[in-house]
Order: sequence, then structure tokens, then C-alpha cells
Amino acid sequence: MGNCLKRSTTDDISLLRGSDSVRESSSDQLGPSPYQETLPIQAATPVYHPSPSVTRSVAQLTEEEQVKIAKRIGLIQHLPTGTYDGCKKARECVICMVEFLVGDAVRYLPCMHTYHMACIDDWLMRSLTCPSCMEPVDAALLTSYETN
Amino acid sequence: MAGMSPSERRLQKELMSLVKEPPPGVTVHADLVEKNLLQWIINMEGASGTLYEGESFQLQFKFSNKYPFDSPEVTFVGSNIPVHPHVYSNGHICLSILTDDWSPALSVQAVCLSIVSMLSSCKEKKRPPDNAFYVKTCSKNPKKTKWWYHDDSV
Ligand SMILES: [Zn+2]
Ligand SMILES: [Zn+2]
Repeated sequence: MGNCLKRSTTDDISLLRGSDSVRESSSDQLGPSPYQETLPIQAATPVYHPSPSVTRSVAQLTEEEQVKIAKRIGLIQHLPTGTYDGCKKARECVICMVEFLVGDAVRYLPCMHTYHMACIDDWLMRSLTCPSCMEPVDAALLTSYETN
Repeated sequence: MAGMSPSERRLQKELMSLVKEPPPGVTVHADLVEKNLLQWIINMEGASGTLYEGESFQLQFKFSNKYPFDSPEVTFVGSNIPVHPHVYSNGHICLSILTDDWSPALSVQAVCLSIVSMLSSCKEKKRPPDNAFYVKTCSKNPKKTKWWYHDDSV
């Protein structure tokens, strides 16, 4: 019980508040990934991207867009995740340009490109493509559903 | 690098690598950028052996705090805007990676290289056919333009 408080401050909550957490500049507060503002924070202050260059708050979305976004979140959550184990093949997340640290939460795309989970989820909400190879993520997912 | 937003941290890294190992003909005004990381001015020399040999151009990059998820706004600025079928006389550039084909794996360096190669492959110096109309009617921000991309063979 005693550790609950410590966990919640170093984990999600302080990291989600971008500017607040960086002001506490001690390095252990900065955590593994610099892009922590993804699905959890979007759920708190919903801002969505019906298409890559369009940003809207949830109140401005049409019903059709809401369905599209709900489907997209579902799809993203089907992509495998893991923690970085020091594998030499993927060294740096090309989205934030920060080297992976052992224990970072990562997500693997069907093309086997790996990113910080927070970084790639933010991108996938805009475009379902791999930033590195442009492989569409949704088509690959659908085929993997069929074969399984 | 504490106290920076994720976009600023990434831009700072990009700046350092661009200063250390710039692509040929490309120089960044690092002192200007250090004052405002969200707006860069980059000098670009026309490559030798191309129609732009001996000319130099200035590119302006503007970044939002959503960079690299949002593409940078890139335009030619200054007195010499290259005469090219994909460059409007107001400096706007018709290049798909700046809007539809942007990916967060791209970088300032990748955009510069792409523009260098766009210029280098040019066979005839001329403005886009719709230049006059576009310049009169476009938004100040080229990212607001709904581009239809000219064929890439030029
Ligand atoms: Zn990352
Ligand atoms: Zn990929």
C-alpha cells in the first residue's frame, strides 16, 4: 500500500501533464518516453484527428467520425505491445529520435518496425501507416485476422 | 535538455545533427534557430551541374508543437525564389511529403534532400502553369492548400 503514491506519480499522471512534469527537471521524472500524451490523455481531453491534418475536439465530431475513431482505437489496441528488451535491431524510436531504454513500453507493427507505444499510438490516430516503411497497418491486420 | 517539450527536444536533436553533418549545399542558421526552435531558416545552394548552379535560396521551416506528427510548413523565402514547375512565385512548394505523404520518420534533413533533388532533376526553368491564379487565391499557409500533385517526372 505504501508504494501506491510513488507509483502513480512516477508513472502515468505526472508524465501525462507535459509541461508540469518537465518543470520538475530531475531526470528520473522524465520517464522512458517523451511522448506520453496519447490515448489516456486524449480520453481526458478528447482531441481527435479524423484525417491527418484535421484536429477536432470530441464535441465537434460527426457521428460517422466517432464510429471511425472508435474502430481505429480498437484496431490499434490489437497491435502487439511489449517492453524493450535491449534488442539491437531496433535502437531508436524514429518518431521522438530517442534511443530505446530497457523496459520502455513499445508497440510492434505488422512490418516489424518498433516504436514507443506512446509515440506510435499518437501517429496511428492520424494515419494507419508505418512511419518508416509506409506499410498500411489496417490492411496487414485484416489479413492476419483471416489467417488466424 | 530538460524543460523542453517533446517537439523541441526532437528539433534540438535535428539541429545538432544538421549543424554537425549538413547535406551538401545545405546550411542552417543555427544562431537564429536557437532563439526560436519552431522557426528555422535554411540556406540551400543550387547543386553544380544543374540548372540552379551558382544560385542560392532560403527555405523557411515552421513547426507546430505537434511536430513530428504534424508536417512542418516549408516555403522558399527571400529575394530568390527558384523558378521551378513545382515552386510558386510566392515560395509555396508543391511536394507531397510536405502534406499528404508526411511521416514522422521524415526530418528537416530528409525534406531538404528531397527539395535538393526536386531542383536538381529540373529540365526547364518555368513556373507552375497555374502560378498566377494560385498566388492570387491561396492561403498564406501552404499546408492549407488542397494540392493535386503534378506528375513526379519533372
Ligand atoms: Zn518514441
Ligand atoms: Zn514499417
